[in-house]
Amino acid sequence: MILKNYTVSAWRNIYNHKLFSAINILGLAIGLAACMLIALFVRDEVSYDRFWDNADNIYRMHQTFLPTGRPPMVFSVAAGKIYHALEQDFPQVVEASREANKRATFIMDNQYFEEQISLVDPGFFQIFDFNVLEGSLENTLEDQSSLVLNKTLADKYFPDGSALGQSITINADVYEREFVVRAIIEDMPENSQLAASAIVSIVEEEWKVQSWMFDQWFSVNAHLYFSLTPGSDITDINDQMPAFIDRHFPEQDNGDRVSSFILLNSQNIEDLHLLGPSNGEYKPMGSMATVITFSAVAILILVIASINFMNLSTARASQRAKEVSLRKVMGASRKNLVVQFIGESIIITLVALFVSVVIVEMALPIYNQTIGKQLAFNYASTDVLIIIGLAVSVGVLGGIYPALILSGFRPAEVLKANQSSETGASAKLRAALVIFQFAVSITLFVSTAVVYGQMLYAKNKDLGFNKENLLVINNLFRDAASEKLSLLVEEYKRLPQAISVTWSNDAPGRPTENNTGMRTPEMPETESLLMGNRGIGYDYFETYQIPLLAGRYYDINMNDERATYESIVAGEGHSSALIINETALNRFALGTPQEAVGKLLYRPLSGDEGEVIREHTIIGVIPDVYLDTLKKEMRPEIFELRPEFAQYITIRFTGDPAAMVSAAQAIWEQEVPSIPFGYDHAIDQLAEQYATEQGEMTMFAAFSGLAIFIACLGLYGLASFTAERRTKEIGVRKVMGATVYDIVKLLVWQFSKPVIIANLIAWPVSFYAMSIWLESFVYRIEDVLIFSFCAIAGIAALLIAWATVAGNSMRVAKANPIKALRYE
Amino acid sequence: MLKLQDLTKAYRTDEVETVALNNVNIEIEHGEFVAIMGPSGCGKSTLLNIVGMLDTPTSGHYFFNGEDVAGYSEAQLGVIRKQHIGFIFQSFNLIDELSVFENIELALLYHDIPASERKERVAAVMDKVGIAHRAKHMPSQLSGGQQQRVAVARAVVGNQSMILADEPTGNLDTAHGQEVMEMLQKLNEEGTTIVMVTHSPSHADYARRTINLLDGHVVTESMRA
Repeated sequence: MILKNYTVSAWRNIYNHKLFSAINILGLAIGLAACMLIALFVRDEVSYDRFWDNADNIYRMHQTFLPTGRPPMVFSVAAGKIYHALEQDFPQVVEASREANKRATFIMDNQYFEEQISLVDPGFFQIFDFNVLEGSLENTLEDQSSLVLNKTLADKYFPDGSALGQSITINADVYEREFVVRAIIEDMPENSQLAASAIVSIVEEEWKVQSWMFDQWFSVNAHLYFSLTPGSDITDINDQMPAFIDRHFPEQDNGDRVSSFILLNSQNIEDLHLLGPSNGEYKPMGSMATVITFSAVAILILVIASINFMNLSTARASQRAKEVSLRKVMGASRKNLVVQFIGESIIITLVALFVSVVIVEMALPIYNQTIGKQLAFNYASTDVLIIIGLAVSVGVLGGIYPALILSGFRPAEVLKANQSSETGASAKLRAALVIFQFAVSITLFVSTAVVYGQMLYAKNKDLGFNKENLLVINNLFRDAASEKLSLLVEEYKRLPQAISVTWSNDAPGRPTENNTGMRTPEMPETESLLMGNRGIGYDYFETYQIPLLAGRYYDINMNDERATYESIVAGEGHSSALIINETALNRFALGTPQEAVGKLLYRPLSGDEGEVIREHTIIGVIPDVYLDTLKKEMRPEIFELRPEFAQYITIRFTGDPAAMVSAAQAIWEQEVPSIPFGYDHAIDQLAEQYATEQGEMTMFAAFSGLAIFIACLGLYGLASFTAERRTKEIGVRKVMGATVYDIVKLLVWQFSKPVIIANLIAWPVSFYAMSIWLESFVYRIEDVLIFSFCAIAGIAALLIAWATVAGNSMRVAKANPIKALRYE
Repeated sequence: MLKLQDLTKAYRTDEVETVALNNVNIEIEHGEFVAIMGPSGCGKSTLLNIVGMLDTPTSGHYFFNGEDVAGYSEAQLGVIRKQHIGFIFQSFNLIDELSVFENIELALLYHDIPASERKERVAAVMDKVGIAHRAKHMPSQLSGGQQQRVAVARAVVGNQSMILADEPTGNLDTAHGQEVMEMLQKLNEEGTTIVMVTHSPSHADYARRTINLLDGHVVTESMRA
């Protein structure tokens, strides 16, 4: 019976106080929804590569270079040679396998398709337990013509029946031969740093021509995974790495120990996504900082929503005082009342929970699109119980304080009337909670602004070249295409849209790095500086519109081509022209750009006849140009003329980009039919680098906005209850001669105070936090900007608070005072 | 001081029109002490609200110091009200969050009076009603009689020439009621016009004139010698 009475009372309370209930339910629902969305994101981020049976014992080795005068270069890949030595030296290593992803052409019925293939060693399938749909992985990789396809590719190439046993021709540059499908595996889950869709084994002989792939100690091009016997400690292996390096890596001429500039370090596979090095990674990384930040935001949002709940309930306490007193007079114990009020708050949170699930379902598609994930809410799992548990605990936590306040009323006092039953303490607590809510909201606002400002800065920073209207054609590294390099360039030059055409080894926004050691004639022979090395064609600077600081560009009529190893050995001269950037100029201390022109730089070349020196004469100096990411510090760079070799052709064009693309494609398909046409616009490729940040940024902004919205919702509710509670006072003030303006001022000021105090708390906090965050950027906005963001956030918060409160205040202030004073 | 001419007040809901005051004609001179009596619902409070400019008549004229204020806007009425009229309510209507001093000061707060002068005047009026020793107390710490004395102080601190009292003794016991009535009488003797709604014939006796209302009409007016 009593339960029925509670339920009826609870329901009527919810129903009769629609504003209160709506604010509570909406605020909580948005808070819970935000929390769930973030939780889905966080859970996905921390779930990477945990699904492997043997995940605890799978590790990947990372190679770090410590070049003189440059920050350490940490790679997620390691030298191909290490693979063989690793199994020999460490008995606890059960299996090891390299994994290199390469673009290749699949050829079927004279049709060409571009795919990514994973080149692996036989241990690969012992380390990773793939789900086999057809065929068998057993000993598959021992056979050099074996191909393992995932379901998607199997269906793509063999739609009319099983792919098993079928053959397909693959051109991987160093070979073009037939493969037989030996097994079909399930598509890999998204939450893995591995991206294997077509798997073939590494045949080292075939790759000898590209020895950097698997046959060198100082070139890093493949991931190196290995599994340990259960119970072994990875620190044992990590600790032995310096000795391992000195034992296996080739000795240095100058007697330096290799372990003094090379580090090897292995990480568990479960840590790769959030904590591993990104350089050399095939798939986008996550970031632990992001995961922690968003978890904190989720908790803060939930706290803000719960505070609303508490505040509104205590604010309304005086209104319910009569009910409480009557129940007490009728014999209710304090415990009865606490149970009743907590029950009510649980009912409200459960309704909110239902609404929040609806919100989550509606928001998920756009959310997934923003952050580039495929998140879904799994109703069949324990998720549901966890979330209901969460909602109920929010209900209990949010309800317990109001319940204690309400149940503590003494009936005699309350029923005597004409007494405000609210204690000063609860009003003070409420003010403190509002301050907290706004401090959090303002901090989030400032953080969002700083993150956004930094993004904008990075995006709009003058990169030193004109990134607009640059069409970059890739796939040129394939033999069939590189043979036609000069032909293609000539044909492209003839296109009416093309202003200028050039070629190069790398293109803007591509993460590959090529580095070369060089020295000045004055430096000791054993020393060198590691230079970023960009191979370029004629007209490169003209096409990218990079100005000169001194000297001249490469000129086809000036014999700028570099001497080859063979020509130097044959004594046919060893001179070459070279263009360097400003950082290189400064690192080598070559003086002014004008002084540097004509000076020499030495580059050792090794070959069958021993080491020879190639002399490069500096013919030009250009300013620092940001062709790669702004996340890394500017390298000293050389721009070396490579007339015969290129990975990319770049066309500066005018007019319609689409027309340009189709014109370029037509020429390509005519000249190189065996390789698919691939292109991108430099500006898109540059923007791509920030895609993850952009998504997270949008997510961050949205959740900050929600936090502010929920806080305002609470403020609105609070303002309306306060206005109601102060009706009498307002009436009296009006009778005393206060104008509507005076009253609105009074109420608005009452709610401005906590917001102003919140600002005073939030500003130093956000300034401190954001200046630390900015430290991780090489090229960053000024700290001063944070101040202005603080000021903007503060003013915005005040304006929002005013707008929230003013409407209510207006209504109350305009009301005829006699109504307030008559019915006491 | 004030003259009501053919004053009518009707409340309109969707369907029913209720006439609270019907053709009321009253004239009150400076320095008078007038009691308004009548059963519940006869229109006493409505009359007081209109006289106090908290409400506007539906038709008729209201001359205040010779000025017809019947058609004035709320803002215009507010200006006249705060200069000339003080209020005392049955339920005191003190602001719980403000101290005795602050409650009284409230009446001066909206008058552009410098803080120092406000302090002096509030102190003076607190002395007058004998509440000075309670200046820092909150209303909830006072007895009903004391609260009403604060309310009286608040009504006169602005040197208002007229006090409207709506059953000022209704919530008080006999002794405290007596006290408040004597205070009003004293104020009247000092020249303040007082218009008081009351149910108590003995308190009405403090007034020199009693107006009896019934169903929105003035039924009798009696003068005391």
